[in-house]
Amino acid sequence: MLNAIARSLRHKFALAMLAATFVSLSVAGTALALYELQAYKQNVTSDLLTQAEILGRATGPALAFDDHKSAEENLSLLETRRQIRAAAIYNARGKMVAQYRGAGAHAEHKVPALPEADGVRLQDGELVVFKRILENKEIVGTVYMSADYELAQRFRGYLGILASVMGLSLLVAAGMSAWLQSALTKPILAVTNVARQVTERKDFSLRVQKTTKDELGYLADAFNDMLSEIGRRAEDLETANRALEREAQERRRADQDVRQLNAELEQRVSQRTLQLETANQELESFSYSVSHDLRAPLRWIVGFSEALMEDHGANLDDEARRKIQIIQNEGRRMGVLIDDLLAFSRLGRRALKVSDVEMGVLVLATWNALKEREDFSRVQLHIGAMPVATGDRVLLGQVWTNLLSNALKFSSKQENPRIEIGAITDDQEHIFFVRDNGAGFNPKYKAKLFGVFQRLHDTSEFPGTGVGLALVQRIVHRHGGRVWADGNLGEGATFYFTVPRESRDGAV
Amino acid sequence: MALWVLLVGLACGPCAAQPDWPNDESQIKAAFLYKFAGYVDWPEGFLGSVETPFTIGVLGADPIADELVQIVQGRKIHSRSIVVSRLKAGDPLEDVAILFVGKGDAARLKPVRGTLQAQPILVVTEEPAGLALGGMINFLLVDRHVRFEVALAPVEKSGLRLSSRLLAVAQRVHAEGR
Repeated sequence: MLNAIARSLRHKFALAMLAATFVSLSVAGTALALYELQAYKQNVTSDLLTQAEILGRATGPALAFDDHKSAEENLSLLETRRQIRAAAIYNARGKMVAQYRGAGAHAEHKVPALPEADGVRLQDGELVVFKRILENKEIVGTVYMSADYELAQRFRGYLGILASVMGLSLLVAAGMSAWLQSALTKPILAVTNVARQVTERKDFSLRVQKTTKDELGYLADAFNDMLSEIGRRAEDLETANRALEREAQERRRADQDVRQLNAELEQRVSQRTLQLETANQELESFSYSVSHDLRAPLRWIVGFSEALMEDHGANLDDEARRKIQIIQNEGRRMGVLIDDLLAFSRLGRRALKVSDVEMGVLVLATWNALKEREDFSRVQLHIGAMPVATGDRVLLGQVWTNLLSNALKFSSKQENPRIEIGAITDDQEHIFFVRDNGAGFNPKYKAKLFGVFQRLHDTSEFPGTGVGLALVQRIVHRHGGRVWADGNLGEGATFYFTVPRESRDGAV
Repeated sequence: MALWVLLVGLACGPCAAQPDWPNDESQIKAAFLYKFAGYVDWPEGFLGSVETPFTIGVLGADPIADELVQIVQGRKIHSRSIVVSRLKAGDPLEDVAILFVGKGDAARLKPVRGTLQAQPILVVTEEPAGLALGGMINFLLVDRHVRFEVALAPVEKSGLRLSSRLLAVAQRVHAEGR
């Protein structure tokens, strides 16, 4: 029942109507009953007082002249007043001279033997009055009357009337609400019905039939407009959805194509890499064996030219000796070149032995080793604070050797050669640099600095094989670092290399 | 209850000593005489100013006069104090408002009936032929109770007005005098 009320507008409407009727009737009925009961009390009281007064007046002469019969006759007139239960007349000295019992009086109802003080009071459900009788300003007796005072009965009667009126009103209200419902709720229910169908079937072509021209009619119109609008939107949305879906499909296809292409590319790259690696290895082993094989004939050339000088030097003229000397020098130079090339190609094969390396110590050791070969007392060396780097001690030593000898070589022709070594550390890597005030280089050829056999200066000017910086680059790259250089012709050069703080075993 | 006794005492001072309504005929008649005055209106001016006492004349009935003297003590009729005048035959009826004629003396009324009736004097008698002799109210004994009868004609002639309430308790009311 409660659910039905909660769900249906119809029931709510009926309930509201009935409730309003019930409440208004209850309030009005209660107010009326209270007023009526109050009025009843006042009426009964004043009525009884009036009757007592009239009876007293009428009975005055009878008492004055001691006429009991006349007093009784007066009392018997009360028969017309049914609500009077009993009455009595007392003379001036309190003796009862006449009494009356109404038809409704109980058998045990007793008329007081003596009169009491004037006044009205309630006593055992009846109203009792005593009233003095005055004749010529003298008290000649007393009237006693008792009357029905049935407030409860009257109240019950009222409740009965109220209940029947209320029942009737509720019936009428129910009927009215049923009648009004068809006028008020039918259009709403029609809208609700269509709304439910639309929700269930998703059919936006349904329409509510407009039956009235009031707000409900407007509601129906608005609902219909809304339905058509929703229908149109839904169609648009569906079209857009379809287009989107098509687009998505195309994209998926394109994506797939790209992925396929990528895979193919990757495969090709790996193939090429493999080929390249193979070629590289072949090349390295080739250059190694070539270098290795070149050393034996070279030794012979150098060795025999030395033997020639020792055994036949005295027989040769100066020109011949000079030429033999040239052969010896160039032969040795070629030996150095071959050694460098061997070292370079070995580097590709050698595994890194990584450990913590005190770079400051390493730089000093390198410097001292270089000093033993040549006298660098002229050179001003400045070494800054150096960190501990992670890497292969031997290879890093090679880096320092190459860079330092490079710097020494190119600054040797200065009057006051100066070499500065330092390091900068950020959160990712250590940056080391070697700065000299030597010959410098043309920035145009910066890119060629680190290539094998790339030389920016003539060998006669600065001797060298052209392998040193290539070796440096290779070692640094294997440590995962970078190399670069700054400089200008005649203004010195600065060579930088980095070592990552996180050690990693990179491969060339 | 105390109040009631007090009221009774006040209301019935003269008879308070007696246990019941006075059986004594004279006493009752004296009381009735006094009470009649309350139901009768005298013509304007007849009773004189308020200072003038209200006179009840008693002719030939001394016991009643005695009782009456007792009863009227301290009481007033029409705002006037009351005087009981004992009359003898031949006495003038000056200022008398009520005239009581005792048993046997009623016959004397007959000659002066015309004169009496010209004046507003309430004439009360106590014998069977009282009304015929010129009385307006006549005492009767009914079942040993004192009652009275009224003759309206002489009352009207005299210019007095009797209250209907008095007539209501009269034993008989005669429209015409006898």
